[in-house]
Amino acid sequence: MGKRVAVVGAGMTRFVRRAEETGKELSWIAAAAALESAGIGLDRVDAVCLGTAPDAFDGVHRKGDYLADGAGAWGKPFMRAYVGGGTGVFTPIQGWYTVASGMADVVLCVAEEKMSSCRPHPQGAFVTIFDDIIERPLEPNLLWIFALEMHRYMHAYGLEKRDIAEVAVKNKRNAVDHPAALLGQADLTVDDVLASEVLAWPVQRLDVSPISDGAVALVLASEDVAGSMTDRPVWIQGVGWNLDTTYWTNRDLVYPEYVEHAARMAYEMADVTEPRRQIHVAEPYDPFDYKELHHLEGLLLFDKGKAPEAARDGVTARDGDLPCTPSGGLLGVGNPIAAAGLMKVAELFWQLRGEAGGRQVPGTPERGVAQAWGDLMQVGTVVVLGTDGGPATTASDPPASAPPAPRATALDDAAFLAAPGAVDAAFDGSYRWDPGAAMGRFLDGLAEGVVHATVCDACGRTLVPPRAFCERCFRPTDGWAEVPATGVVETYSRCHVAWDMQPLDEPRYPAVIRLDGTSQGGFLHLLGGFTDEPTIGMRVEAVWRPPQERTGSILDIAWFRPAGEEAGS
Amino acid sequence: MGTRVAVVGAGWSGFTATTPGVSYKELMFAAASRAYEDAGVDPRTQVDSFVACSEDLEEGTSIFDEYVPDQLGAVQRPVHTIAADGLFGVVTGVMLIGSGVARTVAVEAHSKASDVVSLGRIDRFALDPVLNRPLGIAPVALAGLEMRALLEATGRTVEDCAEVASRNRDHARSNPRVADPPTAPPPHPLADPLTADQAAEPADGCVVLVLAAADESGTGPAPTVTIDGVGWHQDAPSLESRSWDRAVYAERACADAYRRAGIAPADVDLAEVDDRFAYKQLQHLDAAGLADLDPARVNASGGALGEGDLREANGLARALACVERLRAGDGATALALAWRGLPSSSGAAVVMRRG
Repeated sequence: MGKRVAVVGAGMTRFVRRAEETGKELSWIAAAAALESAGIGLDRVDAVCLGTAPDAFDGVHRKGDYLADGAGAWGKPFMRAYVGGGTGVFTPIQGWYTVASGMADVVLCVAEEKMSSCRPHPQGAFVTIFDDIIERPLEPNLLWIFALEMHRYMHAYGLEKRDIAEVAVKNKRNAVDHPAALLGQADLTVDDVLASEVLAWPVQRLDVSPISDGAVALVLASEDVAGSMTDRPVWIQGVGWNLDTTYWTNRDLVYPEYVEHAARMAYEMADVTEPRRQIHVAEPYDPFDYKELHHLEGLLLFDKGKAPEAARDGVTARDGDLPCTPSGGLLGVGNPIAAAGLMKVAELFWQLRGEAGGRQVPGTPERGVAQAWGDLMQVGTVVVLGTDGGPATTASDPPASAPPAPRATALDDAAFLAAPGAVDAAFDGSYRWDPGAAMGRFLDGLAEGVVHATVCDACGRTLVPPRAFCERCFRPTDGWAEVPATGVVETYSRCHVAWDMQPLDEPRYPAVIRLDGTSQGGFLHLLGGFTDEPTIGMRVEAVWRPPQERTGSILDIAWFRPAGEEAGS
Repeated sequence: MGTRVAVVGAGWSGFTATTPGVSYKELMFAAASRAYEDAGVDPRTQVDSFVACSEDLEEGTSIFDEYVPDQLGAVQRPVHTIAADGLFGVVTGVMLIGSGVARTVAVEAHSKASDVVSLGRIDRFALDPVLNRPLGIAPVALAGLEMRALLEATGRTVEDCAEVASRNRDHARSNPRVADPPTAPPPHPLADPLTADQAAEPADGCVVLVLAAADESGTGPAPTVTIDGVGWHQDAPSLESRSWDRAVYAERACADAYRRAGIAPADVDLAEVDDRFAYKQLQHLDAAGLADLDPARVNASGGALGEGDLREANGLARALACVERLRAGDGATALALAWRGLPSSSGAAVVMRRG
């Protein structure tokens, strides 16, 4: 392994709904605070690593270059890495390998997101995360995939919404003690969460983290120079990352295998063999309340399906046996995507140095894990930090230095829109995607009322959506098969809002349909034509549009209805 | 540098103006399959980490890294995206191996420019939204500004640049990747003094390189091409603050790469440098200290002017050309130099040697 790498400074902005500051300015505020925390100037920085998620938020193509000077990168080696929502925890991984490889001794890691620039609603940036050929025509929104995954998780373990709402309450209460928090709420109750607006069942308003603007920065240093900056370095003991298949509808959404793989990679590097005993504080990714539970299981901190019970019993409370998200997390502090992930690593830095103030967990934590997640429910990024037996810090010790006070200026919606000099610009990009050989034949089949699959002889799978290659065997697929347009509802949601969060007159029912005759194959589509509320496990059949209306599109299937029933609407 | 890194596999696909009937996934699968076959590795078990290089708006997909693992053999493996040219991905691969977290890394970059109807409008979206975009200027105008500054500062002429374009297209005629001999478009003005014949045309293609630690005695690959030095650099992102006649990013990236390789520019006997505009080749050779290198040894592949503008895959195409030449014994020390394209002021450099 290369050089050991320490975190020697951290800083962040406030997380706000609409920041007056530009993305560059947010980056600068966080970077300057981190440098101040480390007690160094920009001249000591050898390289800059930037994490920021979709360009569509800021409305700038190649926004890494655009943000470079704000992040302190003018005149320096600079690179932007991203893995969707997992970016924030990946940014220090990028910094880690830059230092560990010997390319730099001091690296500034900056994660920024200014979501509010995206109008009319930042959710619009997520519309284009879906597959261009077979999903976007269904007009999905981001809530769909969370609702589908949450419902599957609840169904598999017989969970009630109340079990999950505990997380939202804990985290929003924890955030009261975070000076950067957007949504800390001391008196929130489970009943409040259960009474909040249903967005896409089972997701309700208070299950969700807020759209936010903000930035966070860390200073990393090699073992050769860390001692010259601080006598209390916090070491990066392990890093891990893992990306699952794009075909998210072919996975069982009940368990995040990719998080487990990333965690095992990080734990092995950190010599963590018993995570439940050796991890003292955890910052799992919590953009939705159920995700914290999902991720705690993927991080091997609780058995599958057992994290809700632990949350209910107070195990994950700040003063519990395993404090989880003492920061307040994305649900309470806010969720400027990449910045939110890095905030979790910064929280571990402060917790392990005894500098977390009112958020400080009891005892003397020596090791913590931070994790982020993203893409199409697909990526896990994990960092293990530890003090390596360095100078002991406890909650009762006065911190050697308080973290710099976070700042950023929040605007209300009217002030934001009326800001002098505000520039409106519409993205006028246009694309004509080539579906390619495999998907092209699939679409041709739909026009004929047939569902085509490809077959891999090596693993024996029958694949829908079809592909020219088997992603597991990494070889060309061997042929084609027709499969029936019938199947089972793997999970579904009742969605009440459009992509811009405006209410729908009638709810829509997105579902993952597992098709008969496939190997866990299927796709995202809509349910319709039912009289009783759908159920997971319900058998369904495709309702085809009339042949003259078909165009070779996923919309050639109008929806899926309960098998054996007459067409409805 | 610490751990010695070798290029043990190389694969490509496309390199044509359009690739109808082939999706970007299928384009990537073809290039990756060739690279793994060349390296003799099974990506499912023998590649430790994967680096893909792309930008969302080039693809028309937010968070494009979602769509890369399957066709690279990277499902449930460490994969991340570098939002930059593919040569930055090579730098990343070198760092991953140097850190010890990986022994073998696959690096990918591609262009499916033919999927993008409005390439120019997407480039324009890279301009500062407050100061520059409202002016309504096309990004290619920045190339005109830069070219004029370069000619003014160095005494070079438009004809010198035209000679570069002509020579590179001639070089491409002996490049087996270039199916049809490139012809220069009519020299209609783009942004004076830049004309269309001196600009590369968009093309589709994908390049995958497989890198591996070269210091595992007995079990490691027998390197024929090693990566001895890397550098990457960001100059002023704002138009108002940057140098217009010099490629400062390239000067510093090359200086770092030479320093890490322990060589001087005079040691380089083969160069593949970004030439999306003919003047950029001259500017980049100045930055690399290679202005006097035999023109026959510069972009012998034809460069982007000959092979086509592969967008974020341009740098990887330059590296691929170096690997092929070094493997063939046509040179001992090569420099690959990438620029991120308009309107950026960042670049990366990689020094490679025949082992």
